[in-house]
Amino acid sequence: MSAAAARPLVTVQSLESDMATDANSVPLPDVMKAAIRPDIVTFVHGQISKNARQPYAVSKRAGHQTSAQSWGTGRAVSRIPRVSGGGTHRAGQGAFGNMCRGGRMFAPTRIWRRWHRQVNVTQKRHAVVSAIAASAVPSLVLARGHRIEEVPELPLVVSDAAEAVEKTSAALKVLKQIGAHPDAEKAKDSQAIRAGKGKARNRRYVSRKGPLVVYGNEGAKLVKAFRNIPGVEVAHVSRLNLLKLAPGGHLGRAKMVNADLARIINSDEVQSVVKPIKKELKRAPLKKNPLKNLNVMLKLNPYAKAAKRMALLAEAQRVKAKQDKLDKKRKSITKDEALAINSASKSWYKTMISDSDYTEFENFTKWLGASQ
Amino acid sequence: MAEKVGQIVPESVLKKQKRAEEWALVKKQEVASLKEKKAANRKLIYNRAKDYAKEYAAQERELIQLKREARLKGGFYVNPEAKLLFIIRIRGINAMHPTTKKILQLLRLRQIFNGVFLKVNKATVNMLHRVEPYVTFGYPNLKSVRELIYKRGFGKVNKQRIALTDNSIIEQTLGKHGIICIEDLIHEILSVGPHFKEANNFFWPFQLSAPLGGLERKRNHYVEGGDAGNREDYINELIRRMN
Repeated sequence: MSAAAARPLVTVQSLESDMATDANSVPLPDVMKAAIRPDIVTFVHGQISKNARQPYAVSKRAGHQTSAQSWGTGRAVSRIPRVSGGGTHRAGQGAFGNMCRGGRMFAPTRIWRRWHRQVNVTQKRHAVVSAIAASAVPSLVLARGHRIEEVPELPLVVSDAAEAVEKTSAALKVLKQIGAHPDAEKAKDSQAIRAGKGKARNRRYVSRKGPLVVYGNEGAKLVKAFRNIPGVEVAHVSRLNLLKLAPGGHLGRAKMVNADLARIINSDEVQSVVKPIKKELKRAPLKKNPLKNLNVMLKLNPYAKAAKRMALLAEAQRVKAKQDKLDKKRKSITKDEALAINSASKSWYKTMISDSDYTEFENFTKWLGASQ
Repeated sequence: MAEKVGQIVPESVLKKQKRAEEWALVKKQEVASLKEKKAANRKLIYNRAKDYAKEYAAQERELIQLKREARLKGGFYVNPEAKLLFIIRIRGINAMHPTTKKILQLLRLRQIFNGVFLKVNKATVNMLHRVEPYVTFGYPNLKSVRELIYKRGFGKVNKQRIALTDNSIIEQTLGKHGIICIEDLIHEILSVGPHFKEANNFFWPFQLSAPLGGLERKRNHYVEGGDAGNREDYINELIRRMN
């Protein structure tokens, strides 16, 4: 998805209360052109919808509130533990096992079952973005079952005047004007009693989902006006819920969007998942050892250069001073002198050897074991 | 969107253009001011580093002078007790008493050959006494501190272990205590200054290599020919081999 591609314009539907000079079209936000990933949406939706669950379990003592003991062998009955005591039907009946009447079930359900699921924030954002993008594709929205035949354009953008709507009757009129009424009607007509036990468990009625109204300004009056219309839900743009954007894990909720929203959505956190922001992420540089790499050292400690230079100079000075001192003390000798000294030392060595010679030594070498 | 003759440019596009221009201008101004600040900072850091170098050299010479003086008079100069310790954990994780385990955790020594700096006071000394068989510690000198911080210094930024590749990282976290560069950090640690706690805690525990040439005998105390416990100044030699 190239961000550089032309941004098609979306016309803003004007209501009768609008002034004619208002902006009549708005560029499509990048979000709506994001990749549509039904796999991510199904996954995330599945995970997230587990988060509102209430735990259920059987009583932890169920089936164990007896002091049953097995009768053992030799009594012509099976070895299952049997209820002790007498005087009642219950006496001698099997207990404890999952196969016994009145016994504990296999693997009693526990409340510490992992009810909730974590989902990575980036994944959640990606799913929301996919769902928003899908709401701009008419075929997907139709496939989900919304009645959008009379809607002039998808994504359905309404001028800001809609935010000021206060009365539900006015809200209904707005819906009719922009062609979203058939969808809301469908929702109203579909209200029915739920099939199944849910009806006795505070989930008596079911109905289809109608349009989702997305608004940008906090505290807009339209919230109260629209919320009582059957099937219609309201959402603030910074709190878009995947469960509302893709109900049942199916992409393509019909959405009515506020004109200013495009700007808000553009600067949403959502952007960073879909299209990387133009200024690149500064990656941390590879750490180099300042003790070995001079440039890196200078970056950290600009004085290091001067210090090193001074140290080198001081060292050179010291070496020179020592050399001078030594030279002063040592006198060099000429070649003749050196030769003379050399020969003298050689002859001294010879005399030392000859001096230590004495003739009788040979007689003793045999039993002394010493050598010359 | 090019403005063709007679065609109205959508207002929202104009608005977006204007916003982009404003942002670009603000950004340019910011960049310019940042540059100025950085230049001034550099100078400050340079001077500070120079002063510290002088200070360290002066301290050394002072010590030598005092010793010579004392010897001259026939007495002795006793070094002041060390204020700074460097501790290295030399034993592994398994089979540890829970209290000593906890103390090592408090000292941030969770891994073998991890090192931390520590201030010397009655509390820390008593803690060290409890964990003596698991650690070795001593009094680091300037070279040890410098090399450890330059080579193996990583900072704790936003609970992450970030390499100290630039002084801005240090300034961000410790700027409010007047520590804006690595040399400031080194000085604060060495001299155990007023913000030693913050400076020390800024460092992630130093992860050192196993010592070249090996340890002598982990299970014995240093005085018995082993490695554990207080080895005072000889810690510097160990640090050279482990850094």
